[in-house]
Amino acid sequence: MPSSTATPAFSPRSSDRTVETAVELRGVSKRFYYYEHRTTSLREWFIRRILQRPLNVRRTEFTLRSLDLMVRRGEAVALIGSNGSGKSTALRLIAGIYRASSGRVTTFGRLTAVIELGAGFHPELTGADNVALYAAVLGLGRRELKARYDEVVDFAQLREFMDTPLKYYSSGMEARLAFAVAVCLHPDILLLDEVLAVGDQAFRERCLARLRAYHERGGTLILVSHEVDQIRELCSRAVWLDRGEMRMDGEVDRVLAAYRAEDPVARRGAP
Amino acid sequence: MSAVQAISPMVGSPGPLGRVWRYRELLRELIVRNLKVKYQRSLLGFVWTFLNPLLTVGILVLVFSHVVRIPLPDYWAFVLSGYFVWNCVLQTLNTGTYIFAEHSRLTRSVAFPSEILVFGAAGSRLLELVAEIMLILVLLVAFHHHQVPSSFALLPVLLVIQVLLVIGLALPIATLSVFYYDVHHALPIALTTLFYLSPVFYPADMVPQAARPFYFLNPIAGLLTLYQEVLYAGRMPSATLLFGMIAAAFLVYFIGYAIFNRYASVFPEIV
Repeated sequence: MPSSTATPAFSPRSSDRTVETAVELRGVSKRFYYYEHRTTSLREWFIRRILQRPLNVRRTEFTLRSLDLMVRRGEAVALIGSNGSGKSTALRLIAGIYRASSGRVTTFGRLTAVIELGAGFHPELTGADNVALYAAVLGLGRRELKARYDEVVDFAQLREFMDTPLKYYSSGMEARLAFAVAVCLHPDILLLDEVLAVGDQAFRERCLARLRAYHERGGTLILVSHEVDQIRELCSRAVWLDRGEMRMDGEVDRVLAAYRAEDPVARRGAP
Repeated sequence: MSAVQAISPMVGSPGPLGRVWRYRELLRELIVRNLKVKYQRSLLGFVWTFLNPLLTVGILVLVFSHVVRIPLPDYWAFVLSGYFVWNCVLQTLNTGTYIFAEHSRLTRSVAFPSEILVFGAAGSRLLELVAEIMLILVLLVAFHHHQVPSSFALLPVLLVIQVLLVIGLALPIATLSVFYYDVHHALPIALTTLFYLSPVFYPADMVPQAARPFYFLNPIAGLLTLYQEVLYAGRMPSATLLFGMIAAAFLVYFIGYAIFNRYASVFPEIV
């Protein structure tokens, strides 16, 4: 249950504390309704409503239970945990994609979430058109994009392919382009969901360098990853989620060590 | 429950129009994308868009001036004035049944007002209609009116009425399609029924007087009559019809939007 200890209304510009805060979750729970078929049909509706017979298609499940998390501005935090522990759900809640079942999510500053790379891409459009579309999806206007277009193209190293329809790109090229758009938006808060495993070794190195530079300039980073090296490289703090609840929150090496000591898969060396 | 709310960084914003206005850049990109995807690799492009309904108009004219006789001077001009509008409404409403499914990756990974997808689809189809109407105007002036009637100046107003009406109908259709696949099957039947219950190939004043009040409960009937007055008859429509339709369009728009708003926050979990 969410801790309903009369938390005072959290106003974005009232105290100095808020200057420091980038993301705050207070007693956030997320409950999902599962359907046997994701889309119900009229037949099911008829059985439920008209015949008044129970229909066991729905069960609810907590994906996150009363999560409290405060991320200060300029922090780099990794969310770790096994599959189904609620990492992605937490990220989607912070991004504002999901609405919390209870509790409160507050973010300060411009936020970019990269949950799925290139989610707005269209295969028939050229690279340049897709950059414009994806940037608009992430909230960047045409004029702002114009100022950063070269930065995007140079970072992706795809200049000669910008007039080629995306369907002729390799999957690595497509991911590079999407990632380049996302990191060139210069958000205050950047959320990444296991998207760092794209491209070749060289591109990955550049992504990491880019994210380090972003962090050093004061950007806030929240990362979901299974790659220990990346986590160590980028984050100073880690939050371990286990079946929707926070197990541990603290210095990255300590949390990773505790996580790997317990999780059998992680212990095998491929967390 | 008071704390059941997530303050999302992007979506939580003022009323329906304010939200779309804030995302106007994305709206424009979506419209551009829809048109580019449709036309860029097609040699004849817009010719197909125009030719297809024109063929249907030809058949309707053939049947209803030689088999079943509808006594109207220049009957072809009458059908031309309504059919293209009908076709545009039909196609936009059909888009509503798959638009959210088509963009499920996007909806699940980026926080943005998803109604913008419906606006984008309606917007690009409407731009095509504007181009079609230009051609129709040429035909009407050359072979029917032999002059430019002043009523043509009313066309922008009719287009605005149509936008509100179509979006107001497409939003609940799209919302319902997320939850019930039945909409896919039901809509074609509903639209076929609507085709015969709307003045597409016959004028509304052929409908028996007693049935008229019910007949005009269908807002499409009023919309088509407006177009036929302005384009075919070349005269100003009655104030009752014009202002009645403006009021109806706003009503449909706000009701449709309210239905959409009621369920929009759970789309990312379902689509």
